[in-house]
Parts: sequence; C-alpha cells; structure tokens
Amino acid sequence: MSNTPLIRLDDVSKVYHLESGDFTALDHVSLDIMENDFVAIMGPSGSGKSTMMNQLGILDVPTSGKMYVDGRDVSGMSSLERTHMRRDIIGYIFQKFYLIPLLTAYENVEYPLILKYKKRDTSGKAAAVLKSVGFDSAMSIHRPNQLSGGQQQRVAIARALVNDPKILLCDEPTGNLDRKTGLQIMEILVGLHREGRTVILVTHDPKIAEYAHRTIELEDGRIVKS
Amino acid sequence: MKDIFFELSVRSVRLNFLRSLLASIGIVIGVVAISSMGMLGTNMQLQVKEQLSASANTITITPDAVRMSPGTTASTGIDRTQLNEIKESAGNNIVIPIHRSSTHMTVGSTEGRGSIYGMDPNDAITFLSVSEGDSIKGESDALVGSTLATNLGIRIGSRIKIGEDNKSVARPVVRVAGILAARGMTADGVMADNAIIVSDDWYTSHFGDKDLYGQVNVIVRNVDTIPDVETAINDKVNRKTQVIRISDASSRLSSISSTLGTITTFILAIGGISLVVAAVSIFNVMMMSVNERIQEIGILLSIGTEKGEIRRMFLYEAFILGIIGAVFGGICSLVIGYSVVGAMIGSTAYFFLPESIIYVPEGMLIGVIVCVISGLYPAWRASNMDPIDALRSE
Repeated sequence: MSNTPLIRLDDVSKVYHLESGDFTALDHVSLDIMENDFVAIMGPSGSGKSTMMNQLGILDVPTSGKMYVDGRDVSGMSSLERTHMRRDIIGYIFQKFYLIPLLTAYENVEYPLILKYKKRDTSGKAAAVLKSVGFDSAMSIHRPNQLSGGQQQRVAIARALVNDPKILLCDEPTGNLDRKTGLQIMEILVGLHREGRTVILVTHDPKIAEYAHRTIELEDGRIVKS
Repeated sequence: MKDIFFELSVRSVRLNFLRSLLASIGIVIGVVAISSMGMLGTNMQLQVKEQLSASANTITITPDAVRMSPGTTASTGIDRTQLNEIKESAGNNIVIPIHRSSTHMTVGSTEGRGSIYGMDPNDAITFLSVSEGDSIKGESDALVGSTLATNLGIRIGSRIKIGEDNKSVARPVVRVAGILAARGMTADGVMADNAIIVSDDWYTSHFGDKDLYGQVNVIVRNVDTIPDVETAINDKVNRKTQVIRISDASSRLSSISSTLGTITTFILAIGGISLVVAAVSIFNVMMMSVNERIQEIGILLSIGTEKGEIRRMFLYEAFILGIIGAVFGGICSLVIGYSVVGAMIGSTAYFFLPESIIYVPEGMLIGVIVCVISGLYPAWRASNMDPIDALRSE
C-alpha cells in the first residue's frame, strides 16, 4: 500500500450556471482518500453530496481545482478517457439499483466485462461474482423487474465488482431496501472493504455511516468535518 | 448473439413490437413503391426493345414532307428516280417500296377501318410471316393483320370490300389469302396488325400513286453495315436538299428508350416520396425510443459505456426496423410488382430478368439505408447525453 492517495481533490469547486444565477455546489473542497479507506460522506440535502458523488465517480469535471484518481489528473481528461476510468477503476452502487432493464441478471453482471474486453464472458467470472454476493444462480436468467429489491442490489453489487474496481462508490445503497435486507447489503460491503477495496458511501443515515471508518460531513458545499 | 448492443436493440424492438412494426410499414410501402415502379418501367422498356429489335435489320426511308419544294404535287412520296437512287446506293440489300394509306372496309355486315399497304407479294414474305393460310398469289388476294382479323371476324377466304360505301359505285373486293402473325410494335414503320396487305398492282390500280411510294424499307443483310448503307443513301438522295428521312430501329429505340427512361425516373421519384414519409416515421419512433430510455442511457454511460457504443446500439435499432421493412417490402414487391407488370404490360416475360428483378434488392437496400439515416440524429442525441442528467430523469 503506497502513501499517495487513491483520490485527491485539490481546491475543487463546482459551479452550476442557472438562469437564477450561479449556484456553487462545491466550494473549494480539498480531500484525500487513501487506498482501502471506508469513507462515509454525509450531509443534509442540498449540501453537495450528490455533486461530490458525481465528482468522485468521474461523471463530471470540476469547474476549478484539480482532481486526481489513481494518480491521474481527471480534470484534463477527454470524455472517452473518463469513460474508460469509470469502466475500469470504479464500481457504482446506486440507491435505485439502476440495472439495465432489457438485460437479465446475469447479463447485467456480464455487461461491464463486455465493455472492457469487447467480447462475451467465457471465463465464468460473471457467474462467480454473482455467487459471491449471495445471488441465487437460478434467478440469473430473470430480468431486473422480476427480482426483489434485495436481489437487484446484489446484482448491482456484482456488476460493480466484476471488473475488479479499486473504488466502490455507493450512493445510499440501502435507501430502497427494508432494514433486514439493508443490513445484509452492508455486511457485503464491509466484507469487500476487508478484502482490500476502497469503499465510499454517500448517505444521510447515521446508522449506515457508522459502518465507515471515516466520516466526511458536507454543508453548503464545504467540508465541515473530516 | 455475439454483440450485446445488437442484442439490446433486438430486445428494445421486441419490447415495442407493435410500434416498431407500424413504423416499418412506411418502409414496406416505400420499398414496394420503388421496386414495383422500377420494375414496371424496366419491363416496359424491355418489351419495347424486344419488339423493335425484331426489325433491327431494317432501314426505313420516308419522304421528308416538310421540305417539299413548292410546285410539286400535293401527293407526297418517294418517286421512281429517288427509288432507283436508293436501290443503287443500297447495294445487294433488299429494297422494298411500300404504298400505304388508310381505308374504310366492310366484311359481310361488319364495318371497320384500317391501314392498307401495297407491296410486291414477294417482298411481303421477306419480313411478314403468314400464320394462317397462304401468301398473295392471285391479283386480288390480300393478307390481313391479326388484330384486324380478330376485330372484324375475318377468316381465310373472307371477302373485304374496300373504300367508303357510297351505294352508287361497286366497291373493289379483295379475297383474304392469309392471316399474319401478330407483330406488335415494330421499328420498320409497317404496322401490319391492324392492316390489309395487297399487291403493288392492286393498290395502284385502285388508290393511284403509281411510282410514288409512302415509304421504302431496306432490309440489310449485315446489321453492322446499317450506318454505311444509311450514309450511302443519304449522300445520294439527299445530296441537294433533304427529300427523304432515314431511320432505323436503333434510332427509334433510343428515342423511345429515353422517353420511357424519363417516365421511369418520374414514377421512381413518386415512389421516393413515400420513403421520405417513411423516414419521418422511423425518425419519430427512434426519438421515442431514445426519450423513453433516457435513464437506461444514463446507466449505460455512467458505468463506462462509450458514446460510440450507445450510437451503435440505436443505429442497430434503426437498422433492424429497416430490415423488417425491407424484408416485408421485398416480398410484397415481388407479389405486387408481378401483378402490376402483368396487368399494365400484359406480359411478365421480362419480370425475372436481372435488369428488372434487381429493383427488389435495390429497393430493399434503399429502405434500410433510409432507416439508418433516419436513426443518425436520434443515435447521436442519445450518445451525447450527460450521464448525470440522464440518470436523474424518470
């Protein structure tokens, strides 16, 4: 494990130009996240959580400041380079699961492998990862709308893991699940962190945030507690 | 299925099957319009070409009526001197001087009207074929064209009274010796199907015009020498002023072909309009597909799908719609095209020839291309969405 941070935000600001005037969603934020960190990002709604999440997920670029992921400067990257970073470095887990509705559970997990290797998976990796998150293999030919919330989130986690990302970015991963299923999902995330992955958790639920080793609190686009 | 993006497109089409099918109907209609119109035009051209090429070895010489000098008689024609000049220039080719006119006629109680040609009976059988009966032997024997024979109920041995019936004068009568095989449209100027052919002598004794011919045909032994023979005749007969007009099957063919070509292009353009309408409906369905799947596009983009892959996915979808339309359109084109060609031309003999049937794959290809082009903008729009905005949309 090296001492260079996996993610570094250096004086990052994000300003949205709205008709009603400029809105600063992130205001000169600096932050380091090390490899194998388990970080929770908290804050009330409108505090900049989502914007932070989009920055960390390389879905967006800062208006000003520098951002480095895995030692590479994201702010100057082309759209295609950022797409490849998202595909190879980051695994996304969303509150609403966001599975691809036209694909089966298995194909949803296989999909990132196809994006990376430009061919169908023949190694059995997709099936293995699905199994590792406790997904019933008999269900793998079902489409997302035929699965329960917990099953969908397991598929989503498998999809996030299948390309061996360094970072797992979880946006309210238990928000749409009942308490019991939510706890199971959190146990899976804890296990993944134990295996050496960096987990970033965006949540407003303090109970969920307790799983993290470090909590960053945002308010009005600024870090108030780190 | 190898390509996941193709598979996604197939599933999307299948999910909205009815909508996709309806959009494809536009393409079906467009393909049918283009293919059957193209085939109709081509079949027309092929038929005319075949009929004209039956007399491809014939040079037709007619008097140039426009440039007759003042002082000549009202009766226009090729005179003895000109005929001799033609014969001299034509070498050993067969020269057939022909009288022609149109006349009223009566067969039994049936009245009719048709052309009457007067020519040497020996010349007649060089280019006309008798399908029934015999050639002209006796002085008042006649050959009758197939259409005229059918219309007036003429049989071998029938007697035809020639000329207007004015009661006071007995009309001349010809006896039908033979009935000609149908000729259709020909390039040699002898429209025999609706005509009576009589001997040269019979014609001049009843219609006059001795040594003044309505047209002279030269049947050339070697088709390749047609230009030379034409030049020789022209240099000789038209040396001072233009007194005769010389034409042959190829010159007629090219003028008719170019007219038919123009008509074909025009009807193809009308068919093309239906494809424009089809393009609009495909565009519409593709935009609907993109707009319904904004969130899905957001998911795909956020987990690392390249813009080009998103574009490909939607272009595949347009392509599939095109293929559905083209396949149905191709099948319908064969059926409808066959019926239309049969009904309008009366013959489907040329329908399956390559130059006709090629319009089916051509129409199909154009249909698919139109679909893919219609999908370009929707695909571009999908691929250029902002993943964050797209994910947020419900």
